[in-house]
Amino acid sequence: MQLTQKNINNSNLLLKVNNLSVFFNTPEGNIQVVKDANFSLNKGECLGVVGESGSGKTQTFFSITGLLSSNGYCKGSAIFKGFDLITSSEEEKRRYLGKSIGFIFQDPMTSLTPHMKIGKQLSEIAIFHEKLSSKLAMERSLEVLDIVKMPKSRDLINSYPHELSGGMKQRIMIAISLMCRPELIIADEPTTALDVTTQSEILSIFNDLKSNMNIGIILISHNIGVIAETSDNVAVMKNGLIVENGSTFNVLTNPKDEYTKHLLSCIPPWLEK
Amino acid sequence: MRTNMIKFIVKRLLIAIPTLLVIIAFGFIMMRVAPGGPFTSERALPPEIERNIQEAYNLNKPIWEQFYIYIKNLSVGDFGPSFKYKDFTVNELILSGLPVSVTLGLSSIIISLFIGCFLGIVAAIKRNTYFDYSVMSISLIGICIPSFVMAPLLSLFFGLYLGLLPTSGWNGGNVLNLILPITALSLPQIAVISRMMRASTIEVLNSNFIRTARSKGLSPSYIVRKHVIRASILPIIEYLAPASAGLMTGSIIVEQIFGLPGIGRYFVVGALQRDYTLVSGVMILYASLLIALILVTDILRALLDPRVKL
Repeated sequence: MQLTQKNINNSNLLLKVNNLSVFFNTPEGNIQVVKDANFSLNKGECLGVVGESGSGKTQTFFSITGLLSSNGYCKGSAIFKGFDLITSSEEEKRRYLGKSIGFIFQDPMTSLTPHMKIGKQLSEIAIFHEKLSSKLAMERSLEVLDIVKMPKSRDLINSYPHELSGGMKQRIMIAISLMCRPELIIADEPTTALDVTTQSEILSIFNDLKSNMNIGIILISHNIGVIAETSDNVAVMKNGLIVENGSTFNVLTNPKDEYTKHLLSCIPPWLEK
Repeated sequence: MRTNMIKFIVKRLLIAIPTLLVIIAFGFIMMRVAPGGPFTSERALPPEIERNIQEAYNLNKPIWEQFYIYIKNLSVGDFGPSFKYKDFTVNELILSGLPVSVTLGLSSIIISLFIGCFLGIVAAIKRNTYFDYSVMSISLIGICIPSFVMAPLLSLFFGLYLGLLPTSGWNGGNVLNLILPITALSLPQIAVISRMMRASTIEVLNSNFIRTARSKGLSPSYIVRKHVIRASILPIIEYLAPASAGLMTGSIIVEQIFGLPGIGRYFVVGALQRDYTLVSGVMILYASLLIALILVTDILRALLDPRVKL
């Protein structure tokens, strides 16, 4: 709460979420999966969101970006640079999605269109949002692939997703989110499907984006190690509630909530230093 | 890619030869096992005349020799003389009926593909709305009513009661004469294709890569055109060959009902009159068409889905 107080009238403020609730209409009745979530994010900062599977981490951010499945709906507000993403129409929201807000998904293996060349999947974003010519958009794709440290990007833009490895696909996903120079990137478990070495490479890319390009990053993960490595602030979620919210250092060294303590005790003792 | 394609086509054409041989042999035996023959009639012919006829058509020779002669003639593209239509060879009969049947079949398959896919995609996008429900229930009726019921009903309603369209006849390929037969042939296919397309489009719409496309902020119509259709049309491409087989058998009945001088009619009449060569000829044509279509299907699939290698 103190954190949100401090952020009022802050020009660095990028995203402010107030009393966000997410519901699903199911045959068994109405289910609330996120309960009154409050948090905020500054430019160039990283907010880590931790919690077990089913705690509502992903749905919180799907609701902000309008990616909820058709039986889901949400209440509250999510102000992105003075624009409420919750109450706005689909069409208004699309002007921000992919342009100012990039989304990176959990499963890179299935998240790329299988029948479209990588170059097209990247360039179509710039063609659509910035009305670039396809040649300029392709050049932008090469630049962006450079940022995510993809070697031989000239060959790469002519290949199809099935020809790439999991780590490469996740870099492509990051590149997709970077195409229109976004201010906010939401990464939903970006390293879960990857091996440890690839994971640390991907995380170092995130750290670069944050410090060099002043991009605000929301990193959703169930891995406290990943959060500790990249996040400035952390929100702990359980059963749809944000049970603890504060700077990463404070939360991890001096947890207030029982659940956070429990979560921290799950880290194998040989990893603690 | 190109050399791969040529290699693939040549290989498949070579495999087609034994397949066709088996089909020809099977048809040959089936026709001769059926009781009666092309020249049996109620009034018995004098024995010497019968012997002469049998000799002229090689029917007095043992069956394996008849088969050998037939295959030998086939290999140079000669389907033999028709047993019933005197003075006509099977080649001539097939060539005279082919334009009619091809016009009918091709227009039906194209029309059912376009309408079926369109209805399926729209039903998938607007799923669980009244549009979806009505398309799906009408298509269920389309599947249930076979073309031999649909054809006379259409002919009766539009031809006789409303007097809008001719009830039957070819009339030199006049478009008005074609509307009813093509409709009767296409309706069941439209029904099946629209249901398949709806199911596969819904599956694609729920897939992760469409979520990615939505997160890019692209417009819904762009997403459907560029990301959805090419993935969701794959099952329809697979269905192309069975659909064509359905159209072929359907056209036999529809040509009969609308009195169209196509190949289907020769097939039915030939089978009833034990016109051995005519039936074999039409059967070989249908089989080759199907084999060619399956080949086209495989090539199309490889072109649409980069993961498929020929």
